[in-house]
Amino acid sequence: MMTLFPPLRSPKTSKNQGAFPRKSFLSRRLASSGTLIGLVGLIALFAVLRPKIFLTPLNFTNILEQIAILAMVAAVQTIVMVVGDFDLSVGSLASLVGVITAQLLVGGMDPVLAIFLALCSGIIAGAINGFLVAYLGLSAFISTLATMTSFTGLALLLSNGTTVFGLPDAFIWLGQGRVGPVPMPVIIAVILVILVWFVLSKTVLGRSWYAVGGNSEAARLSGVNTNLVRFSAFLASGFGAALAGIVLTARLASGHPSAADPLMLSSIAAVFLGITLSRTGQPTIGGTIVGLGIVGVLNNGLNILQVNSYVQQVLTGVIIILAVSLSLFSKKRR
Amino acid sequence: MKTTPHAEALAAVLTTNSISKDYGPVRVVSDISLDLLPGSIHALLGENGAGKSTLIKILAGIIAPSEGFIEIDGMPRELRSVRDGQARGIVALPQELTLVPTLAAAENIYLGMRRTGWPGISNRRGLDRDARVQLERLGQEISLDVPVGELSAVQQTMIALARAIVRDARVLILDEPTAALTDAETEQLFTVLRALRDEGTAILYVSHRLEEVFSLADTATVLRNGHHVWTKPISETNTNDVVAAMIGREHGQVFPARSTNAGIPLLALNKVQGHRVRGISLEARAGRVLGIAGLAGSGRSELLKIIAGVERAQGGSVLLDGIDITRRSLAATMNAGIVYVPEERRSQGLVMSDTIEANIALANLRSLSVAGVALRSRESATAKRRVAELQIKTTSVRQLVAELSGGNQQKVVLAKYLEREPKILLLDEPTRGIDIGTKAEIYQLIRRLTNNGMAVIVVSSEIPELLGIADEIVVLHEGHLTEIVSADQSSNESILHLCYRKPE
Repeated sequence: MMTLFPPLRSPKTSKNQGAFPRKSFLSRRLASSGTLIGLVGLIALFAVLRPKIFLTPLNFTNILEQIAILAMVAAVQTIVMVVGDFDLSVGSLASLVGVITAQLLVGGMDPVLAIFLALCSGIIAGAINGFLVAYLGLSAFISTLATMTSFTGLALLLSNGTTVFGLPDAFIWLGQGRVGPVPMPVIIAVILVILVWFVLSKTVLGRSWYAVGGNSEAARLSGVNTNLVRFSAFLASGFGAALAGIVLTARLASGHPSAADPLMLSSIAAVFLGITLSRTGQPTIGGTIVGLGIVGVLNNGLNILQVNSYVQQVLTGVIIILAVSLSLFSKKRR
Repeated sequence: MKTTPHAEALAAVLTTNSISKDYGPVRVVSDISLDLLPGSIHALLGENGAGKSTLIKILAGIIAPSEGFIEIDGMPRELRSVRDGQARGIVALPQELTLVPTLAAAENIYLGMRRTGWPGISNRRGLDRDARVQLERLGQEISLDVPVGELSAVQQTMIALARAIVRDARVLILDEPTAALTDAETEQLFTVLRALRDEGTAILYVSHRLEEVFSLADTATVLRNGHHVWTKPISETNTNDVVAAMIGREHGQVFPARSTNAGIPLLALNKVQGHRVRGISLEARAGRVLGIAGLAGSGRSELLKIIAGVERAQGGSVLLDGIDITRRSLAATMNAGIVYVPEERRSQGLVMSDTIEANIALANLRSLSVAGVALRSRESATAKRRVAELQIKTTSVRQLVAELSGGNQQKVVLAKYLEREPKILLLDEPTRGIDIGTKAEIYQLIRRLTNNGMAVIVVSSEIPELLGIADEIVVLHEGHLTEIVSADQSSNESILHLCYRKPE
């Protein structure tokens, strides 16, 4: 039986095979790296326009600090989008958890216990989303849109619609402190991103997330508990959103019922920008980081150029569309 | 639709001039020159991966050739898009028809065409009137009020044909149009195709079903590994000739020798009830292949799914080695040693956006990991071993399964489940839509597995296949077991007869 079947294509093909993987890796990277080139281009542009302000270690730290909290949300949004869903409630959940933390602290609770309880409330909220999507079978769009609304309402209720002040310094250190030159939010974000990277690319759970996102039915028939896998993605999302809410509250030294709301759209934008770098159209944590870089560099650079913040918002939208369509274009050409 | 005067019938309407197509370093279509004549049905034959789909896509304007060009009426043309091709009278009907299921027939037929009347305003009555005329020309009476998604497969095919005709198609390209049709519907489609041919349309017809080709086509072209083997008038060739050309060797022993092993019973079903399945009792033995035959809807797939734990039995019991596993989940059943290889490789078998390696690992995550951490090197090694064993044609185990041919994709699905080293292998239509060469390999594989003591249960809608690979065949009729017969004492007719017979 072994000899009955013709060899692969032609001798010409097999001769090329030795060189094939490396060459295709390189060309693949180049073909799909429009977004990466965009990031480098942005950095080059601002560096030329404002070299003395933009290209300094201080400003670099600034950028990292500005995107650190967004990075936490984007990291877990990546997980949810790997599974093929969205979590629209991450922003309002982060706001809600921020308010909860602030109220607990103002009430005199020990910061460690308050943070623990706040994280638990985020996980519970994630469990609600996960239950609706994975076990009740509602679409992620509808369920998280609904929970987003409810979380915002809860945050307003718990804060009476105002900003909650008077947080202890020990807690505020989480958002404003530094270890050496590195701001605390950056450290926390890096730890979370590394954790998400590890789980996504090195563990059985990560493989299952990708498989369910790629073909849920094939995963199920391979013995994967697809409901549990989707549920767990939303749990992770709740945890990440809660962490972001806590750090943001510490950074602002106050709890505000809508402080973290814009994180939702920015996190989805970052993941989408990252998807343009991926060979298969699946999100990756590395891609998300590049997406975050674009969002961060863009905002920072436009600030330095003293561009009107309304104009900044318009430009951010335009650049996201440009990046995504550029990469689509390069994929079609192949 | 124009009728071509007979005098011009010999001038090719569409010619491919030394067309080649490369994907990366792989040349999937190599130097192909074909003439499509008006008033003629031209069959395009070849195994999966022979380059048929690629050639069709080039002709339809979906992809551009890497080398060579297309001539239309003798003039070199470059087709930049499907629309471009249609404007020149070339219309392709893909295997999965591209109708809008929620729109009615008339709207589908005229979708995207500019019509007279108020711009932007749909004149439903006028549309319906014109659509009815077109469908009558095809000899069809199709309700114009229901969404086409609710129509039968053959009616949808007819609507797609009507859509081609109103676009003045001079070249029709059909890719496996009968895959979803019954025999009667197929005959209906052929009548229409012959009528279109007689009116002067050039038809390129792709099918795996050789008997259809011989009853329909005027000319046949065989491709193998992207190369043009030959083009002959259909009267000058026969099935053996075609098969030999397709696989590059004589159509010899497709089916392996049967088992002489009596086998100890491994699996016993006791009055199993399901949604369709009604009180089935049977036994599967180590070292033997049990075939399950039955018409569509007879419950044959459901029976496999119940055994596998994909669906729950509503009554009765399934015993593996005497242990009741009826209530176990899919994962638990897999752990017990039963794997189910699903029917649809694309939608159920594979994560198309993933690599061969990741797909094979998917059913084996536990054995390829330590404490929840996946072992990349072990995944690679496993995939390499299976790729070699099953002779999967690929550049590396990191290749995306989407880039493989159908037969090789099916082997990846098999590899994934075989890696579980099951005691019982359940195969649902294991060779659907794959070429003869790969089919033969899969048959040999099944026999090799049973010789090593596995029990295999195969569901197939192709009775000759069951007769070739099974030792015993169970025939189902509307969920009931009609009879269990020995394969070597049965014929295609006797099995088919049982399929239609109600059990006493």
